[in-house]
Amino acid sequence: MSVLRALASTIGKMFAADLWLTIGVVAIVALAAAALRANLAPPGSLPFLIAAAIAAALAVGVVRGARPKA
Amino acid sequence: MISLATAAPTIGAAFVASSVEAVEAFTIVLAVSVVRGVRPAALGAVAALVLLALVVAVLGPLIAAIPVHGLQLVVGVLLLAFGLGWLRKAVLRAGGALALHDEAAAFEEETRALRGEAQAHASAADWLAGMAAFKAVLLEGTEVVFIVLAIGARPGLLGPAAIGAAAACALIFATGLFLRAPLARIPENSMKFVVGALLAGFGVFWCCEGMGAPWPGGDLAIAPLIAFYLVAGLLMAWAVRAMRTRTRTA
Repeated sequence: MSVLRALASTIGKMFAADLWLTIGVVAIVALAAAALRANLAPPGSLPFLIAAAIAAALAVGVVRGARPKA
Repeated sequence: MISLATAAPTIGAAFVASSVEAVEAFTIVLAVSVVRGVRPAALGAVAALVLLALVVAVLGPLIAAIPVHGLQLVVGVLLLAFGLGWLRKAVLRAGGALALHDEAAAFEEETRALRGEAQAHASAADWLAGMAAFKAVLLEGTEVVFIVLAIGARPGLLGPAAIGAAAACALIFATGLFLRAPLARIPENSMKFVVGALLAGFGVFWCCEGMGAPWPGGDLAIAPLIAFYLVAGLLMAWAVRAMRTRTRTA
């Protein structure tokens, strides 16, 4: 049982070590897919927008992690 | 038949990403072999490797049956969630906001814990030691399996990804067994930095492919994407370090 518990914990940590970062990634991809479907963004520019948004999400995650704990 | 030019980036990516996990698993397997001998360490590690190989053998063909665009989108999101987590941690470590992972300290700690357990449960010491090796290889290997399945989630690329991962694990374990010491000199954080950027690059590329907004240049866009996240990560690490220095001197 302890192996299964550790396995579940490892899988959870793999994808949600920083829950806000994971939520950010999912939100960016969902928004991009919606924008593409609704023809709100030209398909040619979307990859660059996604790459930039992901870098911004990473920057926010780093800033949150670097803040001294209260 | 996949050309070497197509397979080489996949093999390389799986090799580097799997090396980091193999180093961590080896540290615990080595601790088990030092405390209780080679037999329980080898049995535990081999049992976990067999289980992981079965998972790849079962999941690989199942994944191949999923429509490629949907698969790329899901795998892309998972790669991003996984890779950005690594990259964020590596940036924070490089910036001094988190302590660096110390393989020698991890080895000492594991050895101490195993000795304590062996004294407390003398009759089941070998079993407990074997389970520790099994658990370490299974848990670190789970991440390797995900990397192999994710990087190889394209027709014909599962084999090259598995070869890259297997070569990394074999090389790390062979080196470690030859040295009989934890591989503390391997620059683990730098490797995690590179792997995080690599997984983020693959993740963004596959999300775009999966949602029908492909990158100009096709597969050739992966290398610049990886470089972009590597440079972005380095700049962030520099900014974190500068921020911490300013805070200390204020």
